[in-house]
Amino acid sequence: MSTLIGSAIQNAKSSFSPRGAAWALWAGVLVIIGLAALVNYLINGHDAYGTSRQVPWGILISTYVFFVVSSTGLCLVSSLGHVFGFKQFEVIGKRAIVMAIATILAGFAVIATEIGYPFRMLIYNFISPNFTAAIWWMGTLYGLYLLFILLEFGFMMKVNHKYAGYAGLAAFVAGIAAHSNLGAVFGLLDARKWWSGPFLPIYFILSAAVTGCAIVLLLFAVRYMKEKMPDNVRDTMLTISKLFCFLLGVLIFFGIWKLFSSLYAGAPGKYEAMMALINGPLWISYWGFEVFLGMVLPFVLILATKGKHLGVAVFAAASSMIGIFFMRYNLVVAGQLKPMRYDPEVVNASGLVSYAPSMTEIGIVLGGIGLCLLMYIAANMIFNLDADKHH
Amino acid sequence: MANVKNKHWAMVIDSAKCIDCKACDVACKHENGIEANGSREVYRNWITSKGVEGTYPNLKQRFEPSQCHHCANTPCYKVCPTSATYKNEDGLIMMDYKRCIVCSTCIAACPYDARYVSKQKKAIDKCTFCAHRIYIGKLPACVDTCPTKVRVFGDLNDPESEVSKLLASRHYFVIKPEAGTKPNLYYLT
Repeated sequence: MSTLIGSAIQNAKSSFSPRGAAWALWAGVLVIIGLAALVNYLINGHDAYGTSRQVPWGILISTYVFFVVSSTGLCLVSSLGHVFGFKQFEVIGKRAIVMAIATILAGFAVIATEIGYPFRMLIYNFISPNFTAAIWWMGTLYGLYLLFILLEFGFMMKVNHKYAGYAGLAAFVAGIAAHSNLGAVFGLLDARKWWSGPFLPIYFILSAAVTGCAIVLLLFAVRYMKEKMPDNVRDTMLTISKLFCFLLGVLIFFGIWKLFSSLYAGAPGKYEAMMALINGPLWISYWGFEVFLGMVLPFVLILATKGKHLGVAVFAAASSMIGIFFMRYNLVVAGQLKPMRYDPEVVNASGLVSYAPSMTEIGIVLGGIGLCLLMYIAANMIFNLDADKHH
Repeated sequence: MANVKNKHWAMVIDSAKCIDCKACDVACKHENGIEANGSREVYRNWITSKGVEGTYPNLKQRFEPSQCHHCANTPCYKVCPTSATYKNEDGLIMMDYKRCIVCSTCIAACPYDARYVSKQKKAIDKCTFCAHRIYIGKLPACVDTCPTKVRVFGDLNDPESEVSKLLASRHYFVIKPEAGTKPNLYYLT
């Protein structure tokens, strides 16, 4: 144990760089903003948030979704190598899994500030579970998933490929199950017509794979910002950029049919939610961020360069990640804007209720992003996340 | 507590009698110790204005009182991760406040907007049909207080109860039947 800690400290000392310190400083500032927002939440409770009786889920839920989608996506993409045996992808393993751990922990931290009583959850999830609740399955399976990716990372660090593969397979299965249950948290709410149905559990898995590709591209671009990227890593990144482009195409296809099917019959609930996105209060967030930055621009950029230009692919990934953040927000908020009943006190002229995130919520979101980056930076300093030499 | 095993509680509402005096809301808050503290989101029952009907001079303003529908096919009960929402043997949908983690999934799942976050209870709260009253033979506070007797409460398993007789003799509807929730709030036409 002491040897491990000693080597970790040694690694941290040797990998210290001004650039790393600058990243850590920025991440630290975000965490401090998040802590200030947290204090305000602890003093004022949910009054500090923009959520309401009509829109109970806001940006903190969508940010949680963003983080866990990212984590699952990283797990899926990294599984290509050490679980499914595609040798080319083995170089991304450790780095992707560390970020998968950081993103899911950041997701848990953010949702703990949205759930009113997270400590009760830890108790009553075990004492009085409700097996018909998708949220119970999601929480429990994500707990297992975290355990498996921690084990996977541990075995990877010990260069035990056999057990890393087993843990990776378990994480893959738990991740898919947990993530589809996250989709089911929304998809099984029959009252919310725009969410309900089998679309979301499936869409979430696809969306996770897209996000995983984008984050891997970004992680390796940052890793090799100051030094030449080894050829094998470069080849892998170019392959991932093509996979990213293909999955974006599928995602756009899913999005087009969601749009048409929501509008086609004018079905109450579906129609209003979709209209809120395309020509309502969320139109900038939808067309500008989700559609343009999140999907179309990265898809066109990679397609135009035929997947041969890594710099363009990295830019596309950055654009996509910004868009995907808003994609989650749109999904969560649009589904609630059509109220369950007409209350003239809260319904506006267009028949919708409104939601805008408060400064406290935005602060917690920034804190979550900072926490995620800080955990990754720390892991990057402590552990050697580059592929083992024999690869 | 009275034997509730064979009961099937239901409420029959004759909206045409409602004068929007909001005595039901006041009685509910008083009976259940609900402190709204100025919040417009804290209430267990409500009255929706359905607008003006008819043509001048034969105009009529219609109101529709409502509350938790104590659905037989219960969306809020299914989605609660910690079983904080539970069903009594008589079909009442109840809350075990100490188990509630305030994830708000039940709020999102309810097609009637019958639930809200209660700071007092530190949990999600909703109408219980005044279970504490009906188990000692009293009527729910909203029923008891209504000056025009809009609400009628009783046991549908008893063919001699007023609710059974009303549903046998009058036309009625339920709100959002397409939701498949099998609600226990019936509206006379």
